[in-house]
Amino acid sequence: MPLVIDRWALPALALVALAGLWLAPWAAYDRETGSRGAVTLLPNRTLDFTGRTDPLHVPGQGAVLVVSALGLLVVISGVALGRRRREVAWMAGGAVLLVTATVGVATHAGTYRAAQEGELRTTLEEAIRDPGPRVDAEGIEALLERMSEQSLRATQQEALPLGVRIRRLPYQGEAPGLAAFLVFATGAFALGLGARRFRPVERALERVSDVAAIPATAIALALGAAAVVILALQPTPVGSGAEIEGWRAYLTGRLDVLWHSYYTLFSGSLGTFDGFVEALRLATPLIFTGLAVGLGFQAGLFNIGAPGQMTLGALGAALTGIYLPGPTWLVLPASVLAAAVAGGAWGALPGWLKARFGANEVINTILLNFIASALLLFILSSSPVFAAAALRILQALGLSLLVLAALLLLPPVRRSAARAPRPVAAVVLVGLLGVATVAGWPQPGDGPVTVNLPFKAPGSEPKSVPLQETARLPQLPQLFGIAPRSGSTQTTFDAAAWIAGAAAVALLLLGPKMGLRGAARRIGGAVVFGAVAYGVAALFGLRSQPVTVPPSTLNFGFVIAIATAVFMQFFLWRTRWGYELRGVGQSPKAAEYGGASIARNTVLAMAISGAFAGLTATHYVLGGALDDFALRQSLPTNDGFDGIAVALLGANNPIGIVAAAFLFGVLKNGGATLNIAFSDLTRDVVNMILALVVLFIAAKGFLPGRFSDPIKRAAARRRKRDGDDDGVASDLEGEGG
Amino acid sequence: MDGLILMSLAASALRATTPLLLASLGGLFSERSGVVNIALEGIMIFGALGAAIGTFLVERQVLAANPDASLWYAPWVGVLTAMMVGGFVGWIHAVVSIRYKADQIISATAINLMAIGIPAVILTGLFDNSTRSAPVQNRLPQWGIDGFTFSPLVYLAFVLVPIAWYVLYRTPFGLRLRSVGEHPEAADSVGIDVRRMRYSGVVISGVLAGLGGAYLAIGNLNLFVAEMAGGRGFIALAALIFGKWTPIGSLGACLLFGTFEAVGTLLGGGQLLPPSLVQAVPFILTMLVLAGFVGRAVPPRAIGKPFEK
Repeated sequence: MPLVIDRWALPALALVALAGLWLAPWAAYDRETGSRGAVTLLPNRTLDFTGRTDPLHVPGQGAVLVVSALGLLVVISGVALGRRRREVAWMAGGAVLLVTATVGVATHAGTYRAAQEGELRTTLEEAIRDPGPRVDAEGIEALLERMSEQSLRATQQEALPLGVRIRRLPYQGEAPGLAAFLVFATGAFALGLGARRFRPVERALERVSDVAAIPATAIALALGAAAVVILALQPTPVGSGAEIEGWRAYLTGRLDVLWHSYYTLFSGSLGTFDGFVEALRLATPLIFTGLAVGLGFQAGLFNIGAPGQMTLGALGAALTGIYLPGPTWLVLPASVLAAAVAGGAWGALPGWLKARFGANEVINTILLNFIASALLLFILSSSPVFAAAALRILQALGLSLLVLAALLLLPPVRRSAARAPRPVAAVVLVGLLGVATVAGWPQPGDGPVTVNLPFKAPGSEPKSVPLQETARLPQLPQLFGIAPRSGSTQTTFDAAAWIAGAAAVALLLLGPKMGLRGAARRIGGAVVFGAVAYGVAALFGLRSQPVTVPPSTLNFGFVIAIATAVFMQFFLWRTRWGYELRGVGQSPKAAEYGGASIARNTVLAMAISGAFAGLTATHYVLGGALDDFALRQSLPTNDGFDGIAVALLGANNPIGIVAAAFLFGVLKNGGATLNIAFSDLTRDVVNMILALVVLFIAAKGFLPGRFSDPIKRAAARRRKRDGDDDGVASDLEGEGG
Repeated sequence: MDGLILMSLAASALRATTPLLLASLGGLFSERSGVVNIALEGIMIFGALGAAIGTFLVERQVLAANPDASLWYAPWVGVLTAMMVGGFVGWIHAVVSIRYKADQIISATAINLMAIGIPAVILTGLFDNSTRSAPVQNRLPQWGIDGFTFSPLVYLAFVLVPIAWYVLYRTPFGLRLRSVGEHPEAADSVGIDVRRMRYSGVVISGVLAGLGGAYLAIGNLNLFVAEMAGGRGFIALAALIFGKWTPIGSLGACLLFGTFEAVGTLLGGGQLLPPSLVQAVPFILTMLVLAGFVGRAVPPRAIGKPFEK
């Protein structure tokens, strides 16, 4: 978006779109295994890479081509016009382009869908005319009558029990192509930029570009770099019997590969409900780790230790979930809390080391990652073997450390220790060494001891025993009363209650603006408004709405993730503690002068950050996202590092982080699809894109200063407005003359 | 019998020390010039990839022409490739963090993230396999006397310690490098080109970390495996801090960490302690050092701060 605010950028995009109209596919169809496909170029030119496709005639494509080209030329001609006329030209051209692109894509899709339907109908009619032994002719006739009211896939499925097996329909995988996308995008941008002549639109656009300029540019650059890799790795897939002849066919093939790979990356998650939910599921842990890293950044701390904090959180949640007896309402919250506390403690430790001893938190959190992973390895390894002496040493040391910790809780001891920390530490170390020597002295009959940790699942697989039923978070479909892991299910739910809840919350938030002052009035108003909304919704019969719930393993951890983001937003911008924390992050000296304790805020920030990271356990352990409800060695701690990327992309604020995590979820989901769709591309392309996004965001200076530097940007904007006023003046003069 | 175990333990400790030492010396040059380099991990991975692919390509090229050719130089081409790739990746880190004044840790994190995605993409392109390269036929030779043989890079790593010491403390270059890490403004005022010194520091660190990666790929093994550095870049960084940012100190810390790694491996089949616990000990030690319980580690004063002229 922000890139095209420039007067030249949109016409440049329009020129590219013009070239695309000539060279790039308008739409593709008959996409088959290995992503071979046939493509349509305007008007009705067909390139067949499958070697077995009969093209159809799509009506009106000549008109689509001419109108699109004219619209693009109008947009390009905007360069030569003054500001007012340019904006009018862009709005008009943009509207025309949007309509044309939509109509063109729809006719193409409609033509091929009609062909598919015709094929299906013919097959069914043939089956009636020449019924086989198990064909239910009457049923098929009934099916033929209602097939125009339902999807082709439904008809296909219903035909199966009636005895008609339908082979693969032709022309599957019809999808718009690069040219259509370019025309559509040019139209949308032209319309948006043209509408800048209206003040509110301009202000909204400026606000969007302030927030989104750097992330959007970084993503665009990363996707551009990925294009090179995609083109280098993936030759144009061609079926037997088809050949690529001539440079134009070659170029079109390349463009189709590029477009289809991007389309695959995004369409799965954004185009289908199942894919959308899957993207949310993949985003859930990234929301937690992104918030963890983001909160650290807000306090001026780099928490690179989210992987270790995840591990400890998972451990805390698993131990509580396995051992704590009691009813669900006690065990489940306690497990969630244990995840936060364990992760928080693991995060607070480097915070304390920094506050107390000035030890750099970056290196300490890295070290704690390794220690946590060694701990997890030890805990889940099958029957660790100790020498008896070594075991005695460890036990003695553990006991002594507990005693020391207890001693430190006594104020007089702590005071005298604080007076001379180094000598005390030395005495303690020597003492521990003595204890270890005494405990480890060889004794007769010493042999190796196998320690069987009770919560390690039997067998060689590195995982814990499963959690109790009471410690398992429900999957979201379960909240609608659907058993987990069942297929798509029809059910009803009380839409009225949700509407009423949303209405009440909306009033609670908007209350002050509507003249409801005071907590009591706001809450009372919200309750009344909610009740009214429920009544109205019930009148419309919304109390039992039919819904189709797709099979999904999206669990309640997602809701906790969103709640955590809300908490962070509230904490940072609505509480005194959060204010202090941000103050320490932005300007430690000034904050200290104002009375904030840097030490306390460092520990606090690292503890909260660690708690956020620890809460990933709600997804991976309590939510059962790793296929069962247990602590597993395969805990994907790399999410902790991805959290850094998410926090950077989301500019360290909760809303941005949730959005960035969702984008990452979409890309990861798309990466899995890419793996299947193309023979030579893997999900690693996605990992590369993510790394490049971080690199480009890190190198903000790489982008034009206008985007990365708010002050310069404001100055540029002021200059531009002045310049545009001149433009308006010259327009008026032009009209006068 | 015990002597033999001790000898083999010492040998494997030296082997485990080598990649750590190379990367750690690399980190030394970067951090003494004032640039934090937690990208050592990623650079090692890229170096390992470069070594394996460089060797592989030479072998493929020459063997296609003459199947009986002698290829003693192939692994050395791999080593050279690793140095160049490492230097290049270090240069990227330098450009982003010096020229564009990005947060050095974020820039290095980006490189570490790239070290996950990009090797896999390249491997897919070359070998149709995203986790490992084809094995090379000529790995680096083993030099030494019976049973006690090491890759040349092992000798090189230990020889580099006194060289690094000499360069840092006895040459004008070293003096300048240290000065831009301690007080860049002062260095600038006496006419030292701060940016250029920092560029050289980071690129040298890339070259050395790349060498460490080359040792992993074609010194220790004969192929590249995804995530081959296995945290050694971070451990090397810890060793650098443990050794208080000096060559000799780093050598000591790397030897200690290498010994722990060797002991951990030895205990893999033994019945003394679970190896996972042994391997965690160096990290706990480093944390104690950082907190000042075991001597104080004072970093270069201007470390991590971009230089604004």
